[in-house]
Amino acid sequence: MNLEALPWLILFLPLLAAGIITLFTLHHQAVSATLSIGAICAGFVLTLALIKFGGWDAREVSVHWLAVGGFNVNFGLKLDALSLMMLLIVTGVGSVIHIFAYGYMRGDSGFSRFFACMSLFTFSMLGIVLATDFLQLFIAWELVGLSSYLLIGFWFEKPSAADAAKKAFITNRLGDFGFILGILTLWFWCSSLNFTDISHGLVDWKGPHWFLTGAGLLIFCGAVGKSAQFPLHVWLPDAMEGPTPVSALIHAATMVAAGVYMLCRVFFIFTPEALTVIAWIGGFTALLAALIAVQQNDIKRILAYSTLSQLGYMVMAVGLGGPTPAMFHLTTHAFFKALLFLGAGSVIIALHHEQDIWKMGGLRKKMPVTFWTFLVATLALCGVPPFSGFYSKDAILAQALHAHNYALFAIAAFVAVLTTFYMFRLFFVAFLGEPKASAAEHAHESPGVMIWPLRILAVASIVGGLIGISELFNSLFVGAAAENAGPANVFTQLIEPFQHTPVAAFGGLIAVVIGFLAAKALYTKAKNDPLPAKLGALSRAMANRFYFDEIYKATVIRLHDTIAAIADWIDRWIVEGFCIGLVRGGTDLTGRALRLVQTGNLQTYAFLFVLGVAVVLWFVLGR
Amino acid sequence: MTILTLIFLLPILAAIALAFVPRNFAVIMRAVAVGVTFVTMLLAVQMFWQFNGAPADEHGYKFVGTIPGLGAESLGIACKFGVDGLNVGLVLMGAIVAFAAACCAFEIQSREKEFYLLLLTMTGGILGAFMSLDLFFFYFLHELALVPTFIMIGVWGRGERRNYATFQITLYLSFGALLALIGLIALYLQMPADARTFAIPALTQYFAAHTMALGAQNFIFPLLLFGFGILVSLWPFHSWAALGYSSAPSATAMLHAGVLKKFGLYGLIRVALPMMPEATQGWMTLLAWLCLGNILYVGWVAIRQKDLNLLYGNSSVAHMGFVFLGIASLNLVGVTGAVLIMVAHGFLAALTFGLSGFIYHHTGTLVMCELGGLARRMRFIGTAFVMAAMAGCGLPGFLNFWGEITVFFGAWTEPALRAVVVLAIWGALIIGAVYMLRAVRTVMHGPSDEARAYAPNVADATLWRKLPYALLIASLLVFGFFPRLLTEKIKPVTEQIVSLATAVRTAPDSAPAIIAEVPGAPAAPLRTAANP
Repeated sequence: MNLEALPWLILFLPLLAAGIITLFTLHHQAVSATLSIGAICAGFVLTLALIKFGGWDAREVSVHWLAVGGFNVNFGLKLDALSLMMLLIVTGVGSVIHIFAYGYMRGDSGFSRFFACMSLFTFSMLGIVLATDFLQLFIAWELVGLSSYLLIGFWFEKPSAADAAKKAFITNRLGDFGFILGILTLWFWCSSLNFTDISHGLVDWKGPHWFLTGAGLLIFCGAVGKSAQFPLHVWLPDAMEGPTPVSALIHAATMVAAGVYMLCRVFFIFTPEALTVIAWIGGFTALLAALIAVQQNDIKRILAYSTLSQLGYMVMAVGLGGPTPAMFHLTTHAFFKALLFLGAGSVIIALHHEQDIWKMGGLRKKMPVTFWTFLVATLALCGVPPFSGFYSKDAILAQALHAHNYALFAIAAFVAVLTTFYMFRLFFVAFLGEPKASAAEHAHESPGVMIWPLRILAVASIVGGLIGISELFNSLFVGAAAENAGPANVFTQLIEPFQHTPVAAFGGLIAVVIGFLAAKALYTKAKNDPLPAKLGALSRAMANRFYFDEIYKATVIRLHDTIAAIADWIDRWIVEGFCIGLVRGGTDLTGRALRLVQTGNLQTYAFLFVLGVAVVLWFVLGR
Repeated sequence: MTILTLIFLLPILAAIALAFVPRNFAVIMRAVAVGVTFVTMLLAVQMFWQFNGAPADEHGYKFVGTIPGLGAESLGIACKFGVDGLNVGLVLMGAIVAFAAACCAFEIQSREKEFYLLLLTMTGGILGAFMSLDLFFFYFLHELALVPTFIMIGVWGRGERRNYATFQITLYLSFGALLALIGLIALYLQMPADARTFAIPALTQYFAAHTMALGAQNFIFPLLLFGFGILVSLWPFHSWAALGYSSAPSATAMLHAGVLKKFGLYGLIRVALPMMPEATQGWMTLLAWLCLGNILYVGWVAIRQKDLNLLYGNSSVAHMGFVFLGIASLNLVGVTGAVLIMVAHGFLAALTFGLSGFIYHHTGTLVMCELGGLARRMRFIGTAFVMAAMAGCGLPGFLNFWGEITVFFGAWTEPALRAVVVLAIWGALIIGAVYMLRAVRTVMHGPSDEARAYAPNVADATLWRKLPYALLIASLLVFGFFPRLLTEKIKPVTEQIVSLATAVRTAPDSAPAIIAEVPGAPAAPLRTAANP
């Protein structure tokens, strides 16, 4: 088997599936699903083969796509530890979610369309992962935006879904606006779009330092949009209008993480000042989203804000100079957050599309697999050892200490408290206690096609922290020096954080304990939320997402609308009405004036005729 | 008889033949129009396919052929056709759009004979204008295509403001064409009396060697810029466009917005830029700022439209801004991007007006708040609608993306244009997305209201009706995936045009030497760098 062809196959199989489904098999649901699932599962197997036979070494191939003057675009594939690991995540987690979706979407009238869009998404996401240059990245970036738009608006007849899709697309475009400006700037300086060339070109950068900072921040704008960081975070919670597998794949595990991936991929362009800004935006987003999550009642929205908060962690880690912990957390997060969403999807289906956690409860006996796997994911997200989330979160906390940024460490630790609190609030209310509505009383466990994915992801969530993912990324970002540490046995890995960075590890543990005890005290027996009474206005602000949507509507959107209205008014009344009206009226008036000359009176005509002859004679002869 | 003369003669002769068919045979009229445009399209595809291998004449034109008998030798007029990289894509696009327009003309239910006759005349005229290597026929054939537009809007148009729209588009475009005509005649007169010719290659060559007097350039260039500009709806001379397109029958709107409108841009690039470099360099800054009027201002206007066709019309005006920006950048990358957008927008404009025509045919209205949820029953049309919207906001995968991105990269290299590029990107990424997605949201998405009067009529396109849309989308996608099919052809020509347009011919020592080559040439005055 030719190894060169493998990555191309992995990339293009999903596109092929999407094309075939759209063109030919829209009316054959089983075939469509098979094609789509087959494409991504094949991608996973091929990725494993690629790593088995090709190793983790960095290599790059590309073909010319377009060349006009100094504008050269290549279509290439970049393979290194970063992209190969990301390939594994996208195809691996993606396969599991695709299979789950086969059960979840059964009976939907747009079944084939759903899988076509999912395959289109997979292709675009793999395009981001494998991109060798900025423009290719940007193209795939836009395409994931498109697939996200199509899938959020999958149930387009629902006005809320259609609005959410539009909002997601346009908000992402706001981030892309900065992104493309950053790309243009870098291209102009380095005369290349290729990551490697730019990294070489910037080594002997002679221009003003703040230029580079500015370019880095413009590039970061792209990540702000795609990874839903403050101030463009508003689209992600609304994106939950899409089907739950979409939320799991796109809005939890892969696409939203693309921003973090991109930051790690082009880590070399960021100056210390830019990194500081990135770290604080990430930290602030983590805090903001965690606070909002505390007072949400929709199961998917709680998870969505949790995703925001965790993405904030990752971005913060990048900003603190640690792409390794960021990618590590991205990986483990992909496992357990996908699991959480699929678990939520399983519950939602069992409860006939009920999403309010206060109408659930008592699901432990009725849905045992969903219950236990959800618990595993919750523990992993909260950061309980030995679940995967503990190690990755610990790495981020340790990075904050390592960078001597104690303010962000404090924020991160506080967010860890909040995370445990809102997750166990969700867990206690939705899964334990008495059934709070009739639908919850009659819930059944989901079919095998849906619960096997949960089991697989649960295993990944448990062991994800111990299988050397962190070391792999470290070898890439830190260099060969770290590679020689040698493989550690499982036990040393298990306790490694406590030896290596005890402050961070114990800090994280204490945060979990505090959050858990608070949630236990408040919610184990609660019939409704006791928090609003205790917190008052703060609770209302949290529940209303700190009024960001309202603020944007009143400022940015209204401003743009007003400008548009003014432009329209000018067009209607000044250009169309006044200017053209003036020309038209002027012509009309001239016509009317000239009409007066045409009297129809023969004597006048004769007189004018003679006058004319006289004038001509005077010109010809008289002068 | 070369393939190009066939492409021109086929629709024209068919139009003449239709004149002799009795008017009762409406089906034959339609069959002839669809069949002839189909064959024309196949010929154009074949021509595009063979382009790379075909031999070129000394000016770089391929498939050169003349129609003997047309023209006047004593005046230096000859009906001569040829294509190079600049117009080969336009001819292909024009032929495909013409076929799509003929397919979409099913909504015409009265006076079919006249309609199809005019449609074929329009097709032949505009394809001929693009292929013409003669300034006279270049202009004349454009007029031949333009005049039917007016009649078609007046007779088969729709809406209450039809008459007003007809008057406005007729007067506006005639005025623009008149300005351009004065400019072209003045250009012709700049040649020495014994060497006067309308042949574009000869003119280009002459003015490359002999700088036109600066006074003449500064007189002629604005005439061409604004004359052609009016034809392309350059801001602030744009108000005819949206109204005219919204009142036109869809086939006319498709052909005009898609193909005919590119004539002005083509004229600017082919004639004005290479022949008058000094004036070009002086006027480009103004053009760059005017293009923001198209991109931003008209984009905002589009956001506010309540009628789908007015939205599409304004969006088509807004897209012209990107072409102007590419031209204003005056470098290889930017001008190549401009040509890419010209081709891309041709497909896109035809697609959008074709779709709105389909919707109008089924619902009887294009007021957006009266529509909604159509995607449920119009699956194919809904898909095409979303794709058109995505192409309209420059999504990768469609050719429009390559055009816009290339223009941005080209203009970015000119430090003076940076601010314009930033604003233009805002227009492309944000404003474009806002109005296009708004159209999708209100027309296609949302609940479908079964209580509406039109609800029983809503149905998806049949296989036959799908064809034009599928063809246009496929064209956008093929070139969107393989832009090199176009850029490799365009590049050599734009490179040449840009090098002519940006030539700095200020050295006083060399000027007399150039003049000395051709006796009788008007003495070129000495001048300094051309930025006034």
